[in-house]
Amino acid sequence: MATISLKVNGTPCTVELEHDRVRLSEILRGQLGLTGAKIGCGVGKCGSCTVLVNGEPVTSCTLLARKADAAEVLTIEGLADGAVLHPIQEAFLDAGAVQCGFCTPGLIIRTYSLLRNNPGADDAQIVEMLRHHLCRCTGYLAILEAVKLSRERMAQG
Amino acid sequence: MTLRYVGKGVRRVDGADKVTGQAMFVSDITVPRMLHARVVRAGVPHARIISLDTTEAEGMPGVRKVVTGQGCGILFGTCLWDQPPIAVDRVRHAGEPVAVVLAMTEHQADQAARKVKVEYDPLPFQLDPVEAARPGAPLIHERNGSYRRVEYIVRSEAGTNIFHHYKLRKGDAAAGFAAADVILEEHFEFPLSSHCSLEPHGAICRFTQGGDIDMWASNQAPFVVRDVLADMFKIPVTRIRVRVPYLGGGFGGKSDVSIEPLVAYAASQVPGWAVKLVLTRKEAITSSLIGRGMMGRMKIGARKDGAFVALEAEMYFADGAYGDTSWPVVTVAGHNCTGPYEFPSCKVDSYGVYTNSPPVGAFRGYGHPEGQFMLGRMIDLLARKLGIPQGDLMRRNFLCEGRRNGLGQEIKRSHGDLFACLDKVEAAMAGTPLPPEDDRYLYGRGMAAMAKSPKMAANAASTAYLQISNDGSVFVNLAGIEMGQGCQTAFTQIAAEALKVPIERIRMYREVDTQFTPWEWQTVASMQTYRGGRAILQACEKAVELLRLNASLVFDCPVDEVEYDGDACFRKGMPANRLPVASLARGYMFGNGLTVGQPVQATGTYRVNGITEPDPETGMGNAAGSWTFGVQAADVRIEKATGRIDVLHFASCFDPGRVLNPVTIRGQVAGGVVQGLGAALMEKLEFGPDGVIRNANFGPYRIPTIDDMPGKLTIEFVETPNPEGPWSAKPIGEHPIVAVAPTILNAIGNATGTEFTRMPVRAADVLDALRRKEGV
Ligand code: FES
Ligand code: FES
Repeated sequence: MATISLKVNGTPCTVELEHDRVRLSEILRGQLGLTGAKIGCGVGKCGSCTVLVNGEPVTSCTLLARKADAAEVLTIEGLADGAVLHPIQEAFLDAGAVQCGFCTPGLIIRTYSLLRNNPGADDAQIVEMLRHHLCRCTGYLAILEAVKLSRERMAQG
Repeated sequence: MTLRYVGKGVRRVDGADKVTGQAMFVSDITVPRMLHARVVRAGVPHARIISLDTTEAEGMPGVRKVVTGQGCGILFGTCLWDQPPIAVDRVRHAGEPVAVVLAMTEHQADQAARKVKVEYDPLPFQLDPVEAARPGAPLIHERNGSYRRVEYIVRSEAGTNIFHHYKLRKGDAAAGFAAADVILEEHFEFPLSSHCSLEPHGAICRFTQGGDIDMWASNQAPFVVRDVLADMFKIPVTRIRVRVPYLGGGFGGKSDVSIEPLVAYAASQVPGWAVKLVLTRKEAITSSLIGRGMMGRMKIGARKDGAFVALEAEMYFADGAYGDTSWPVVTVAGHNCTGPYEFPSCKVDSYGVYTNSPPVGAFRGYGHPEGQFMLGRMIDLLARKLGIPQGDLMRRNFLCEGRRNGLGQEIKRSHGDLFACLDKVEAAMAGTPLPPEDDRYLYGRGMAAMAKSPKMAANAASTAYLQISNDGSVFVNLAGIEMGQGCQTAFTQIAAEALKVPIERIRMYREVDTQFTPWEWQTVASMQTYRGGRAILQACEKAVELLRLNASLVFDCPVDEVEYDGDACFRKGMPANRLPVASLARGYMFGNGLTVGQPVQATGTYRVNGITEPDPETGMGNAAGSWTFGVQAADVRIEKATGRIDVLHFASCFDPGRVLNPVTIRGQVAGGVVQGLGAALMEKLEFGPDGVIRNANFGPYRIPTIDDMPGKLTIEFVETPNPEGPWSAKPIGEHPIVAVAPTILNAIGNATGTEFTRMPVRAADVLDALRRKEGV
């Protein structure tokens, strides 16, 4: 059985691949117990499984695990600093952007990636980013507000 | 009295779990000795099973067992027992389970499932409910009419595919139409669609070797699941434990039962092992519950002055292969297709028809969007035919004090104020004038009103358990399923307000567990804040009584001399001598250990009393326990060159009695409106010529994205005091979706001059219509 080594939320780990089509999401959720990334579709269309791989947002349900060998991965579990929530997490709560919460981890991770790379992202860039995500509960209104609020708060540091 | 928490946008109590990825959903749970299930699906819409060969699959690595329906004599249901947990010798829809492979890993189950060989003898399949309902149509269930059922409410017609016929006969409709100055009649179609809660259905089940059933399910109705399993396997309900962690959206698609009987049946074949099944998105679409699927006709008669005199409607529901989850939708679609208006006479026939699709179940709005889609469109058309402004026609006929709905129930002022809702929506629209047609775009405005009443079992109730701890903090346990709607937050607000304690002291039990949580009917019909909230209020009152009783023993005075202020009990007129709640929570202990009084714990229950099933002949009766009214309006912009439809402004105003939490209620309205736009403009399950669903995943099955959000959302409320809900709060979760489709189609009609009566209306449909108009 092939193995891969990767760094997840700062911790190095080595995992065995049951077969060569194993997806990164299966490794994270199944072997590493990081169930924060959710599987809403399994085909790259809903964004619930989004994590950062080497700083880039990817749908972990479509990424073959072997392609993530030697990668650095950030999942929703790695965002808060211990019990101190990240400003984006706070903003999602304050804006009422969380309902069932199934889409939330993926959205927060992608928001983090956008605002870290581009703290001054304009509204159009925010909408462009949100296009990658489905949410069946909120109608996107509060999510949009949450991302804008995150932008403000992160700008204020 | 000023309110501290009711009416405030307090943060969600489940929020931190959800933003950190720690909220547990069924798919996140692993238990010891767990097998993974992969289901082999029929792949053909209607056929007899000639042979089923599992030998090769059984020999595959890691496979523990391949379960089939051979020898399974179980039919499950709650009111109509017509469905086997797994196909026995016949499949009635393409997503039906035929075999379940149980293996050590998902991959092994997957590999082995490919080796199961099934041969079918195809039977004719039917998807059109009107065709399927005709006399002589091939039967999907030969036993229709003789299945076990609750005969008073499920009216099956033997020898046909009609497993339920609801009829409403109010007054003399024929005479009503004879007296009408204007009569309008139209045909409508509301397609089948998928709920698409982002979390696909999942369940884990173990039959212990001691004979108990232990289950985790993504389900809105754990007590219904428990009762159904008890009936299936003939064991007492007390030996069944169903747990529901967080639910990733429901919208009705996880109410009643869906995959749980299958998972339990598979688990029953491997006692001691747990069996886990999590559906793929494709399976969630093809093999759980789907929604809607109505073909109908509506006819309205009115006098010149706009007074409605008669309504006639016929609805045929393509309810799929099994009927237990859809018959009540058929009933309520019938009795509430009169919407928020009074019709002196009505003749309504609503049919639940077996077809070869996945079974239909509850879907946000529960029959109301289907019937009121027709009604909302009809009223727009009728207003123009009569030459009366639509708002005036609506006002002329709105339900209000003293008027009677279709069921014959008298409406009171406290039931809600449609006039105020309409005023607010008209004012909101007046604030954003509709632009005139320009080179590139057409513009249109539409409006519709709605009414919804919960459909529930007549004995539906909520039960709360409450305990005050020795530090004064309070546990509340109630089986309201948190599926995003925010009921746990609402419960927390209600308990804090009623007990007059800081909200941080209230803690809802997180997971619903039928072993520890008091009985609750189910989390449907937008009833948790309303019904569960009343149960909590009662428990709070009892708990305060107990605190006062304990204090009276300490003060050695009559109970009615003891007062409670949230922090402590004290004797009337002697506020300085205070006994803190914490000191009374387990009875009061004196310095020497002597303890008086009792631990403070209480239960509360609430049922909407006096509900009856509709009369079998007239369809009337006290079947609705409460109403929530609302009005919606929209401006759309149509691009002439492409037919592209943009919603510029969507305004809603509802009367939920009281806004308990302005943040969560806004989320419900925005979410409901956008879901409704999906139905109106994009969503439809498409069946290929082979009878198999073609668009069974996101992408091909398109649901709204951020690009489909209206440019502006107006969300307003009217709060009419009433004696019903906690601080007047009434159902509101489903309501925002009910009138969206007619509102949007009315607006498209206004913009294009083409009156669409089928959904969805996509750009291509609009473009076609525009081209046809040009051609004339
Ligand atoms: S689960 Fe990966 S994109 Fe939907
Ligand atoms: S909050 Fe439920 S899918 Fe977004």
